[in-house]
Amino acid sequence: MRKFMINVNGNSYEVEVEEVGVSGTSQRSVVSAPSTPAPTPSAPKAAPKEEKKEVVVSAGQEVVEAPMPGNIWKIDVKEGDTVKAGDILLILEAMKMENEILAPRDGVVASINTTQGAAVNTGDKLVVLD
Amino acid sequence: MKEKIERLLETTKKIELGGGEQRIEKHHKSGKLTARERINLLFDEGSFVEVDKFVEHRCTNFGMEKVEAASDGVVTGYGTVEGRLVFTYAQDFTVVGGSLGEMHAAKICKVQDMALKMGAPIVGFNDSGGARIQEGVDALSGYGKIFYRNTISSGVIPQISVIMGPSAGGAVYSPALTDFIFMVDKTSMMFITGPQVIKSVTGEEVTQEELGGANTHNKVSGVAHFMDNTEAECIERIKELLSLLPSNNLEDAPVYTMEDEINRIEEQLNEIVPVNPNKPYDMKEVIKLIADGGYFFEVQEKFAQNIITGYIRLNGKTIGVVANQPKVLAGCLDINASDKAGRFIRTCDAFNIPLLNLVDVPGFLPGATQEYGGIIRHGAKMLYAYSEATVPKVTLIVRKAYGGAYLAMCSKDLGADQVFAWPNAEIAVMGPDGAANIIFKKDIENSNDPIATRQEKIAEYRDTVANPYIAAQRGFVDDVIVPSITRPRLISAFDMLESKRENRPAKKHGNLPV
Repeated sequence: MRKFMINVNGNSYEVEVEEVGVSGTSQRSVVSAPSTPAPTPSAPKAAPKEEKKEVVVSAGQEVVEAPMPGNIWKIDVKEGDTVKAGDILLILEAMKMENEILAPRDGVVASINTTQGAAVNTGDKLVVLD
Repeated sequence: MKEKIERLLETTKKIELGGGEQRIEKHHKSGKLTARERINLLFDEGSFVEVDKFVEHRCTNFGMEKVEAASDGVVTGYGTVEGRLVFTYAQDFTVVGGSLGEMHAAKICKVQDMALKMGAPIVGFNDSGGARIQEGVDALSGYGKIFYRNTISSGVIPQISVIMGPSAGGAVYSPALTDFIFMVDKTSMMFITGPQVIKSVTGEEVTQEELGGANTHNKVSGVAHFMDNTEAECIERIKELLSLLPSNNLEDAPVYTMEDEINRIEEQLNEIVPVNPNKPYDMKEVIKLIADGGYFFEVQEKFAQNIITGYIRLNGKTIGVVANQPKVLAGCLDINASDKAGRFIRTCDAFNIPLLNLVDVPGFLPGATQEYGGIIRHGAKMLYAYSEATVPKVTLIVRKAYGGAYLAMCSKDLGADQVFAWPNAEIAVMGPDGAANIIFKKDIENSNDPIATRQEKIAEYRDTVANPYIAAQRGFVDDVIVPSITRPRLISAFDMLESKRENRPAKKHGNLPV
């Protein structure tokens, strides 16, 4: 058992990490829901107008793009999470529908290139999977 | 006489070996079956009768006079599939690469003519290197003759194309003119210009598989309708499709004895649509709960998934289903969805298959890409196809039905014979949010608390307008029904419509926007 001190946004967390041998029964990684209660998304106008960052994608990675214009309602994963094909990555509010954006394949979330409440356009790169 | 019979049997045996054992072995190693093996899998055992076995090519150019080509690289004939007559041609890749020359094409044309004359489906197995270059314009003419027959037979007999190898250049247009295209993952390939030509012209580097593999044509281009992992699975699926279709446009699809209960009350349907209209759900669940035995044969499963097309049986009879999928793109109609549905509706109408339309559509997908891509003329195909269709048309409004998309999903005004709605249906010219902004603009502006007033007005609009009863008061909806009794109501409606007859003004043909 090893102990770590982790700082997230100014909050300190004490984390205990135990290394599980190969014989460990299950090594499922749990995709935890965001700890904060799902906040209501800000109105489209209030969405921060960010400069579009160039999303770097290396070979073997898969990009999940916005299928239509809308606002990011909720992000269900964080970087480093292991996801299975069909898991919900995030919810895109568009055409009065909370559209579930699903993982196209099994993988690990390499980066999330959007924020809650952000207005996105068709083809915007939202999540990169390793 | 005995000698002559022996000679016949020997020649036949040699021809049936196609390109010889070595080539067959190589063919098998690449994961493919031979033309004759494919035919044997398709037809009822022992029912296949070959036509034109002894045909040979007549080419003497470029040393072709020395080339022996068994059956000229294509096996043609007829047989029965589940007891019903079906014609076929299967290109034999082991014989001069399945290349198409004058006589090869003539053999295909002969079975095409026979299939049309006898009013029976034709299944074509494509596995060919393309035109036989040595035969020049004769080969080219061969393609033209096949295309012409594909077009003349269109809407008369079901034409099914199976891509089980390469199909490149002009060869792709015969499949494209037929009703359904089947592909096999990793071994099927379709493109107009191959990777080498593309590289030399545009500099783009793309693999054969990326360019024209089964995945590409099933998911991206929408050229193909079905995709399977093996040739055997693919052929099983072809048989399943044939069981859902009539043999020709003057017949009805075969009716199967049904094990399911006609009057099955499905309580789950009362719960399946979320109360919150912003929540998605899987429309395929609704389809399966309504269908005989939960059976649903989906067409173009991977393309434009915001609309679902496929066949179910109701009371044993084939019904074509067109349904919005709220789970994908909010169920919006867009260019691809319109093309997919438009084509499917016309296929059903051509072959006397009644249509069931399940509606939950928020509208057309907004965006400049859609407008530049011509959503106006593509969307018009759906309106056209529904209006043109004379088969029984029953529409069920499951939840949202807004604006032009409501009309495009076969509203009463496009000729739906029966329109049902579930009590939670929202039928209106536009969504409550947008409508409230326009209708109550002044009230909202002049209010002390515009945000609260706006919410009030949205709620007011939703209560008074966005429901099925206004449309029902005007007769646009024939009945508002409890979801659980949907199955018996639909069966009864299609039963009533069985004798539907509708006359249209005489014309050469309509002018579908393409």
